[in-house]
Amino acid sequence: MARNGTPHPQPLQIHRLPQSKYIDALRWLPPISPFDRHVVLAAFNSDSDASAVEIHSINSKNPSETLTHHFSWTSPHRISSLKVSQTPQKPVIAASSFSGSLHVLFADSLDAMIDSEVSLPENALHAGPISGIDLNENGSECVTVGMDGRVNVVNVGGSGVSYRKVFDSNGLASYTATKWASPAEFATGGPGFGVQWWDQRKCGGPAAQFKGNWAQKTSGIVHSIDIHPSRKHTCLAGGSSGSVFAWDLRWQQQPIILSGVGMGETPAQSLSESEVWEVQYDTFTRAANLASISSARVLPAMICSEDGILAVVEQGEEAIELLAEPCAINSFDIDKQNPSDVICCLEWESIAVLSRA
Amino acid sequence: MPALTSNAGDTSLVLLPPEAPDSPAVIPFLHGIKPPISPRLSISWSRGNSLRVSVFKQSPQSDAVTSTGSNETDGGRVVELKLGSAGDGGGGEIDDAAQWRRIAYGSVAPFALLQSRKNSMSALSRMSSSSSYDAEWWAYVLEYSKEINSLLGYRRSPPSLAIEDPRTLLKKVEEPTCLKAAWELMEVFYADKQSQAWLPERLVDWLADFDSLFSGTQPTIHSKLLDFQEELVTLQAVEDDPRYWEAISLALAVGWLDIAVKLLRLHGSYQLNQLGNRETENGLVEAVAVLISKMPRMRSKSAAGNLGECFKSKPDFIKALEKWRAQITKLDCSAFWLQCGHHQTMEGLKSILQIMLGNASTLSASTCHWLELYIAHFIYIRPFTAGLESMYTLAQKCLQVKPVSRPHKLMKLLTGILGENTEVVLAECSKSFGPWMIAHAVELLTAGSTHADIVLHEERDNLGGISIEELHRLVYAQFLSSHALTWQIAPIYLTSCIKQGMGLLEILLYKQPVHHNQVLLKNLEICRLYELDRVSSNIMKMAGVHHWKHGTKGSGVFWLQQARDEFRLNRIAQHLFGFQWEGLIELLGSDSRTAGGLEFLHKYRDFKRSLQQVHDGTVTDAAQRAAEALISLMKNPSTPHRFWLPLLYDSLKLFNWQECPLLNVPQTNLLLNKLQELSMAMLRPDFIEADLPPQALSSVRLALATNLGRAILDH
Repeated sequence: MARNGTPHPQPLQIHRLPQSKYIDALRWLPPISPFDRHVVLAAFNSDSDASAVEIHSINSKNPSETLTHHFSWTSPHRISSLKVSQTPQKPVIAASSFSGSLHVLFADSLDAMIDSEVSLPENALHAGPISGIDLNENGSECVTVGMDGRVNVVNVGGSGVSYRKVFDSNGLASYTATKWASPAEFATGGPGFGVQWWDQRKCGGPAAQFKGNWAQKTSGIVHSIDIHPSRKHTCLAGGSSGSVFAWDLRWQQQPIILSGVGMGETPAQSLSESEVWEVQYDTFTRAANLASISSARVLPAMICSEDGILAVVEQGEEAIELLAEPCAINSFDIDKQNPSDVICCLEWESIAVLSRA
Repeated sequence: MPALTSNAGDTSLVLLPPEAPDSPAVIPFLHGIKPPISPRLSISWSRGNSLRVSVFKQSPQSDAVTSTGSNETDGGRVVELKLGSAGDGGGGEIDDAAQWRRIAYGSVAPFALLQSRKNSMSALSRMSSSSSYDAEWWAYVLEYSKEINSLLGYRRSPPSLAIEDPRTLLKKVEEPTCLKAAWELMEVFYADKQSQAWLPERLVDWLADFDSLFSGTQPTIHSKLLDFQEELVTLQAVEDDPRYWEAISLALAVGWLDIAVKLLRLHGSYQLNQLGNRETENGLVEAVAVLISKMPRMRSKSAAGNLGECFKSKPDFIKALEKWRAQITKLDCSAFWLQCGHHQTMEGLKSILQIMLGNASTLSASTCHWLELYIAHFIYIRPFTAGLESMYTLAQKCLQVKPVSRPHKLMKLLTGILGENTEVVLAECSKSFGPWMIAHAVELLTAGSTHADIVLHEERDNLGGISIEELHRLVYAQFLSSHALTWQIAPIYLTSCIKQGMGLLEILLYKQPVHHNQVLLKNLEICRLYELDRVSSNIMKMAGVHHWKHGTKGSGVFWLQQARDEFRLNRIAQHLFGFQWEGLIELLGSDSRTAGGLEFLHKYRDFKRSLQQVHDGTVTDAAQRAAEALISLMKNPSTPHRFWLPLLYDSLKLFNWQECPLLNVPQTNLLLNKLQELSMAMLRPDFIEADLPPQALSSVRLALATNLGRAILDH
């Protein structure tokens, strides 16, 4: 499969690491040194019903790449969403729970241990589970969304923790995913392939919104959103029926469909027909190529899906499948500092580490 | 049957198992409800082995019908009790639940692949029957068996190149499991058709891998060698110790040639300072060691690092064996023995030669249990044993020589296999190794023999018309369904069950919780894969109602629309009318045609908008549009009766429009008819009075009448 004109298939190293617990989500921790890398796991032990945020160090030099348990913070509830700020000096880990609590953990960059922790209990932010969270760049603000239709911005900078309710639809709208675009703006997604754009300077509702058609049989839910720092006007969204689309604020009426059958029209390709659980812009594109991609084109994106696909999709190109597993891939993360490395968690209690060359 | 005992604050659940009602299991649990506790409590099965117990507080007036809804948090509590360990697969030795799940996950792909191959091959074989079919099928079964086998742990470690300690006899390898041993045994007999010619040698290898498993209940060669290995370090002149010679005989008897040779080379005569005066003795030891390492074996290839010379064809092997035996006899009768000064060495070596010559009583003395004797017979006395019948006879003979009071489960399995008794094999698999083993081993059994194939596929009335194969798959699927992390693989097994599978799959899917979005979506994904559109639609309805009830109205409407549930959407539309509806309609998008039961709300929204414009100014165009919207609303059968009067009352300004009558004669008549219908309905006792001024009806009637008059004049 061609990739930006290069005819060679990518050399790919895959290591599968069985775990004895279910991994709900995982993230890379910003590296302390090139040889000392850590991953954060949201683990759920079904035998003891215990949940934890675990930090593991990963040995990428060793071919039989293994995870070494490094630190563990016991979570009172099962974790629904996990995000890590990209601040190498003081990484912030935010975890929301299915019970509605939010936990913000401050890691020490030297030893990758958790120094301190602040929490907001159940029912403080949302009635019911928190379905999506996102930390801003410096880890000082966290936006939380839920099925209850509330949108909150939690301030975790400084000494304490405080929050502000941005919107409450009283259950009329539900939100399942969120992503910061700028210090004042963020996007949310929800049922009916809806994507909303929020500007904290404008109150009383979303600043702009894209309504997919709810009533179609093939409608679905947005599960994940990503916004590229260089293209703040475009929301990349992934959801049901293998749908991956980009919604450009400058052309709000017509989204650009990268994959999927869910949007009604005949798409260029369909990678997967089931839920796309996570989308992220694939930063593993060389800088030269990035510049050559016109601003109207959507940047390459990586997706993972319920039917076990981990792939890179690009507008107008054939998708590159990195993994095709017999079970679901629930979450993945691209290492921001070293984007050739990808880590993903599989439904059958295991983790896969991929390095692209 | 569960019963409950309770004293203040502490409650226990007593379980009376039907098979042993005298030994009840008592499970204490905490519920945090302060006494008095209501004697009534509700017990139901939750997922898997969990019981859901609802404990209620005793209300002050226990007879009162009204329950106290004000203080719900203290009114009762639902407690989930886990009974037993969820991961107990029945194998007994793999008690780590995560390990069991790993095996379960790993076996999905090979099982599914084999089923799909079976289906496509049976479709092919209907068209043409050929012998190539069988060969191909066996290759598939063997591939399946090897993949499953690889999940159960690794085979012996690869030969290490490091310099080994000469005094280490048994390499430390991963502890083998009975499960793997049982699987390999079935693979040897049922799946691996190519090894049928050297079946005895396969059993030799099998025992070499798994002899340690028998150590738990009785002494084995493995355990004796292990004991001797520990003492070896402390021994100075090994050849003086009778246990040294015993160890060599033991290892040799079951064909562990490399251990025997290694031990022989520890003989004191090899030491440089003694080589001079023990030359003949050393020559004899070395001659025996060489003979052992040159032993002819009939097998395709030697296991890595093992000694012995392999022969694939029977004539070559016979020739080599004759020659080898002649060499042993020659050595046995040689004059060198007389020059051997060390008595123990001479005795020991002579006894070793007897083993190699196949002396039955020496073999019996050099083995611990009947299985080892059985293997020794294969190696030294009857290397040409073929056919299960003669193998079975030999096993019986060995059992008579070395009887066991309580046979090991692997021995029972082996006797079942040798006796060609499918029922016994099934019973042993099920009893000793649990539902996973039997569901997967059935594939090997059916491939192995036509008789087993018939027994397992025959539909039985006592099983409700299903076959034994299906029964065991269903049992395994139940086992998988009982765990939150494995229920998703149960459909693979259920869909391979022709009779009951789909029914149970529906039940499984309906039982999954709908409040957890991810589980719900995974559930719907399974429906999509197996084309269970009806189930999928029902689950969406359940999710819709759940969300609606719990206040997440938007999600509720979303799921009901996905389920095309017009009925409930209509009800919701009526409920939403009057409050909150505008925000929701905004979210629904603009296309009213596809909005299902919410069509009424869409029309009402349009009507309200144009009416608003009318109130803001006096534009006739806007008024005309509002009037059209009103007619469209009133014509629509989905508009509920009770909203007719408020709609008409809102439209009074339209009826009294100054410039021209906005409604023509038939339109006004339609509205008058509706008004008449409404007046009749008002007489019925179940009519819900709208919150309007009392003169509303008459003023609407008057306005309509005026409009009618003007319309007629206009016309």
